[in-house]
Amino acid sequence: MSGGEILLDVEHVSLAFGGVRAINDVSFNIARGEIRAIIGPNGAGKTSMLNVINGFYHPQHGRISFHGKTRARMKPYEAASQGIARTFQNVALFKGMTTLDNILTGRSLKMRRNLFWQMLRHGPALAEEIEHRKFCEEIIDFLEIEHIRKAPVGTLPYGLQKRVELGRALAMEPTLLLLDEPMAGMNLEEKQDMSRFIVDVNQHFGTTIALIEHDIGVVMDLSDRIVVLEYGHKIADGTPDEVKSDQKVIDAYLGVAH
Amino acid sequence: MFYREVGQFKTSYAADQAIFPIRQDRIGLALILLVAFVAIPLLGGEFLIASVMIPFLILALAAIGLNILIGYTGLISLGTAAFMGVGAYACYKLSTLFPQVNILVWILTSGFIACAVGVVFGLPSLRIKGFYLAIATLAAQFFLQWCFGRVGWLYNYNPSGAIEVPGHSLFGVAVTGPSATPVTRYYVVLCIVVAMTWIASNLVHGRIGRNWMAVRDMDIAAQLMGIRLLPAKLLAFAVSSFYAGVAGALMVFIWLGAAEPEAFNINLSFLLLFMVIIGGLGSLLGSFFGAALIHILPIIVRAAPNALGLSVGSATVEHLTYVITGALIIFFLIVEPHGLARLWQIGKQKLRAWPFPY
Repeated sequence: MSGGEILLDVEHVSLAFGGVRAINDVSFNIARGEIRAIIGPNGAGKTSMLNVINGFYHPQHGRISFHGKTRARMKPYEAASQGIARTFQNVALFKGMTTLDNILTGRSLKMRRNLFWQMLRHGPALAEEIEHRKFCEEIIDFLEIEHIRKAPVGTLPYGLQKRVELGRALAMEPTLLLLDEPMAGMNLEEKQDMSRFIVDVNQHFGTTIALIEHDIGVVMDLSDRIVVLEYGHKIADGTPDEVKSDQKVIDAYLGVAH
Repeated sequence: MFYREVGQFKTSYAADQAIFPIRQDRIGLALILLVAFVAIPLLGGEFLIASVMIPFLILALAAIGLNILIGYTGLISLGTAAFMGVGAYACYKLSTLFPQVNILVWILTSGFIACAVGVVFGLPSLRIKGFYLAIATLAAQFFLQWCFGRVGWLYNYNPSGAIEVPGHSLFGVAVTGPSATPVTRYYVVLCIVVAMTWIASNLVHGRIGRNWMAVRDMDIAAQLMGIRLLPAKLLAFAVSSFYAGVAGALMVFIWLGAAEPEAFNINLSFLLLFMVIIGGLGSLLGSFFGAALIHILPIIVRAAPNALGLSVGSATVEHLTYVITGALIIFFLIVEPHGLARLWQIGKQKLRAWPFPY
């Protein structure tokens, strides 16, 4: 739950692409262990915000502190090594590889054996490979995707691909997991499964989660606190109940009579 | 019916992570190695060993190198022949400067020199992709080939402009030069190719191979997994050029015995590209299939009229070889655009269910 230590602090971040101001002076924080939702109409700057957090975009103004360390610019692999994992709005799996290999890729940063041992694939390198395979099998069990372990992910249905992508992010043992529309294009049953996985990840692994989602029902049920963006501005921030009754949010979603 | 893994239960992840998890595959590999190491040298004639097997193995080695770059990492290169040339010329220079050193040492060292040159020409790969990268590697092809022809130091100011391989022996047995027997040369090539294929297979099945494929399939997501693009791409260039360099050194020292700069022209680069595409991108086995199709098939087609007792003029045979080989390449690509390796996979799948349809 919220109220604890601040894990990620976004302060006065602004991001512009040429003349288009995608994010305008937005500040919010994410507390350790909470599920934090970022919502807003299309084009509000939600995905840009995630891209700023994991280092794809460099904001022109503002600061981001993660784990108490402040940084202005950071490369994506640095974000990854600090424990920020991410799934994408359009599934971004490695299509030519199997489910298992995709999830094993998430262990890449934890594997230490160098080129020499990799060439031999015996002794320490093989032991390391097996050890990480065990870890990945636990994720595969957890996400109930045992049956597609050896299937190339390009051939899997969309709902399962989303699940494999979550598995790949979990393999990184992240402290902060960014989920960009994890339930887009899913049917009700798949949404329920995915919601269950998100809650389980949060409670069992203690992972802090930032979530972008358009299904308001899901967002209200899952999240501890919600940030609402519109046209790059923050218009509301608070618990689901506070946000639900906020006049600006109602206006943004339902429109205002002029 | 015979090719089935029924009853082969794996009780450890080690067994499941093995490169050949199915017993029949392991037996098949052992048989192939037995044929390559024992049957061919014992039973094969000089033509089979010197003109079919040695070139086939060397081309397959270069194709493996190119496959690591194109098939596994998704970086298109048209400079393979140039990197082979770097290996060949480096080996020539080193072995003429220090003739007393074991020639195998120089063959591997020239691989490392090709590797360094490959990394330099791989630097643009961070910024450019696809066809644009292909054009950048084309620059390597033309520039290096120009060096082989114009920089006299590289060919020891030989008036003919060619490099000629002096005789070298290993443990008292002639390995290169005119006095080396085909069987000896074949064993040298075979040992190097088997060892390097084993290493390549280990690499692509481990963390490094997965990182390469991640970069190939979705470089944005790969970065988020903590994979740094430049080191991953440069490593692919380095390994690929090392393989090309060793193949180039073997090509001159063991196969041809002498070479001109023209031996490493763009045609050879394209030939290797064809081998990789027809054999199967992202498959080591495919590299062997591709090399076999491009190198061995024309030899068979050329020999076929005589074997069948037909009297066809030699010029006609030459034309027919081109036509038939070309037609077969198109046929295989239509049947399976993903290459012969995929065809082999499908065949194995069918064989599992045989005699039932599924």
